[in-house]
Amino acid sequence: MIDRIINTLKELDISTYLVTETVTHSAEAFFVKKRMDLKRRTTLADYTASVYRTMERDGETLVGVCDAPVYPGMDDSELREALSSAYHAASFAGNPRYELLSGRKEDFVPARSGYAEMPLEECMRTTAEAIFAPDVHEDVFVNSVEVFALRKVRRVVNSRGVDVSWESYNVNGEYVIQCVDPSDVETHHIFSLREPDPAALSAEVEASLARTRDRALASRPPKAGSYTVILSEDNVRELLSWYTARSGSGMVYQRYSDWAVGQNVQGEDIRGDRLTVTLKADEPYDSAGIPLKDRPLLENGVLRTVHGGFRFAHYLGIEPTGQYSCTEVPTGSTPLAEMKKKPYLYVVSFSDFQMNSFSGHFGGEIRLAYLYDGETVTPVTGGSINGSILEAQGNMVFSKERYRSARFSGPYAVAIENVAVAGLNG
Amino acid sequence: MKVKGSPYLRANKPLFQKLLAALLEQYPYASILASDVREKSYMVNRRLTSVNGGGIFSGRGFVVKVFDGQHWSEHSFNRISEELLPDVLAQIRETVSLSDTALPAGTVEGVFSAPAEEKTVFQGSTELEVDPEELGDDVILERLTAIRDRGLRYSDQLLDCQVRTEWNRTSKLFLSPNKDMEQNIMWTTGTAVTIAHRGQEIKNSYQSMSCLGGMELLDRLAQTIEKAARTTIELLDSVPIVPGEYECVCAPDVTGMIVHEAFGHGLEMDMFVKDRAQAKRFIGQYVASPLVTMHDGASSAPQTGSFFFDDEGVMAHDTIIIDKGVLKTGMSDLQSAMILGTEPTGNGRRESYRRKAYTRMTNTWFEGGTDSVEDMIASVKDGLLLDEPSSGMEDPKNWGIQCMVSFAREIKDGKLTGRIFSPIVLSGYVPDLLKSITMMSPDVELAGGGFCGKGYKELMKVSDGGPWIKARIRLG
Repeated sequence: MIDRIINTLKELDISTYLVTETVTHSAEAFFVKKRMDLKRRTTLADYTASVYRTMERDGETLVGVCDAPVYPGMDDSELREALSSAYHAASFAGNPRYELLSGRKEDFVPARSGYAEMPLEECMRTTAEAIFAPDVHEDVFVNSVEVFALRKVRRVVNSRGVDVSWESYNVNGEYVIQCVDPSDVETHHIFSLREPDPAALSAEVEASLARTRDRALASRPPKAGSYTVILSEDNVRELLSWYTARSGSGMVYQRYSDWAVGQNVQGEDIRGDRLTVTLKADEPYDSAGIPLKDRPLLENGVLRTVHGGFRFAHYLGIEPTGQYSCTEVPTGSTPLAEMKKKPYLYVVSFSDFQMNSFSGHFGGEIRLAYLYDGETVTPVTGGSINGSILEAQGNMVFSKERYRSARFSGPYAVAIENVAVAGLNG
Repeated sequence: MKVKGSPYLRANKPLFQKLLAALLEQYPYASILASDVREKSYMVNRRLTSVNGGGIFSGRGFVVKVFDGQHWSEHSFNRISEELLPDVLAQIRETVSLSDTALPAGTVEGVFSAPAEEKTVFQGSTELEVDPEELGDDVILERLTAIRDRGLRYSDQLLDCQVRTEWNRTSKLFLSPNKDMEQNIMWTTGTAVTIAHRGQEIKNSYQSMSCLGGMELLDRLAQTIEKAARTTIELLDSVPIVPGEYECVCAPDVTGMIVHEAFGHGLEMDMFVKDRAQAKRFIGQYVASPLVTMHDGASSAPQTGSFFFDDEGVMAHDTIIIDKGVLKTGMSDLQSAMILGTEPTGNGRRESYRRKAYTRMTNTWFEGGTDSVEDMIASVKDGLLLDEPSSGMEDPKNWGIQCMVSFAREIKDGKLTGRIFSPIVLSGYVPDLLKSITMMSPDVELAGGGFCGKGYKELMKVSDGGPWIKARIRLG
């Protein structure tokens, strides 16, 4: 199909293009408690064809681009119509001129994942078994599980010689833990894995079972006020996503961010830990075929890289780094146990913790938190936190312990002073 | 005019029928959902213009659902032809026999029955006034550009004004032993966002709208841009709220978010099957003020959640979920209804042919009341007016509320003071909020500008809304 698309582009005299192919196979299973209600497989081939059109307008050279809808099973006339319509549409979407990345045909990069050693069905089965392994308690149990095991083979070809292809594996899904006594509650968990590690997944489920038991004991929100808040695991990644979002070349080009390389973006008044972030190459190429490598994003609070694809890089006159989805942050020097020696509100579960990359506000409704008043630890539920990274970034203290997930490797926890919490009045 | 059907689906229908016939020779029940979804989006802001011929729902493909006499299996694929038919059949058979090798230790495969289907032959298309493909890419971009310029003219303080529109034309065929159904739907959305900054902090306000139809929406979008621009400038002076419980007047889109996120997800009956929904225990009980009557259904309103039949071949419904404060029923997909022994309500929906069907909302809304907005505001001694929902997350088990809105306007002694707070997180217990509703305005507004997820995935187009309401809400 990819050759048909390129041949048709040439027939239509469309000289600048970027074509992608993604072939996906999956094995999926859906469980209610320990009953598999549905099994699924997918066999899909997806294509995108971005066509670029250069034009002169008011003495300026502009480039327009439009993605054409191209599907397997299109006959020749339908394919021609889709590509020529997109080329026509591109003529109305003129933007400052830029060029595609140049390159050459590279060898196929096979996945290095341990998942590549087994059939997808086995990836799915062993993942489900790891989730169910700690499910041995009477009062707290796995309510439901969904597992998606995927193998993708991607190829990116453009009109300037780039022709790269690679393979990746991912096993992702969700599980829900339920505890029925003293109150009937649940906690919801998502996972995304690139390497098989059943023991680590089982340990995570075991911890989730324990937390859900605590959730069943929690009946009241904390009192409204200002707290030292501890966040952990993927909530740390979400908090720090402010720095990856604001250093994106699209944000900078559109002037939504005034960050520049060399700028101390964490600010001068740092009473906590200075932040260092690395963009991690978890795939050999990004979706436009740009080779990915590990790059420093922040060093001790100072921006080292404005990152993004070839278009905004061209506009800003910087190197196109490609699009990253994974970051690594060094751990701090403070053990979690040390953080817990002073009063805190440790939120372990939100309904949906979010960082707003425009405003810098972060917050979410509390599903389960541990409140330490200096004497006792009490599980609480309800209420919400509402903070600002612009105020928090000077006093973030990172834990010595490390947390790893598919998109983040960094401190297990962060403690932030003076965060506003909505809860019980009085 | 009627939305046009998919020539591809019609031309290949005999092939789908042949595949179905071959499956029914081996299995007691099988169905095929074939879909062809076209989308196009347009965006203009101060520095960029874009047009995109695809979207997150775009694609052409098929999902086969098979009942082997005991168990359910599904296979999704997007390549089919006479020549490929034997391969497709072999893949489906392999999927049906997957449990022989893939059933995890300690689990069992559920034993179910086939659906009882009535003979149904259906063909339907929704209406549109302005066909975007006839209007043309150039005209659409020109009109967005004019709206952008109008927004930017409002104030020099605006950093940007981003205007976008997207249309979606979905054609689907559903074939099973007793069903032969075709539908063609078009919806269009439009959003205008104005942006300003206060140091590192960027403030923005938006106006969003949608319709079951085409580019007739652009006229309405143009009328809203000044409101977004005015609010953005006001937000530059916004301050954080003092956390607490407040008497609140909610704009219809905030009402919609409460209807959808806080309450609607808990009425999705696949959650009943999993014992994940508190609502299951509250059927027949008061869960809201007697002022509240709540609907869900693809045929309950002409909006982005509308269709003629769902992805399991069940005709669309208008389901009364809450009747004068009493919870009457949930909403259901076919498989959940079969397990629960209830009637399916036409809520079995897939993100696309690639994904499983779940119980999903469609158009979900509160009926209107009799109070004017002016009377609502005048009745508040010390409270807030909430506007512009930004996000929400369901909690069907515990009915906790997480909703965020962009801003709240202060009301003192029955008057808006001009003070504005931002951002705002709503929390609390859903029935407490719904029972606290004391006033509702007559007019109902629905919108489907955003997307709905199930947990953190399975994106879906829905709409929600209702009237202005007055309620007591915990804010932070």
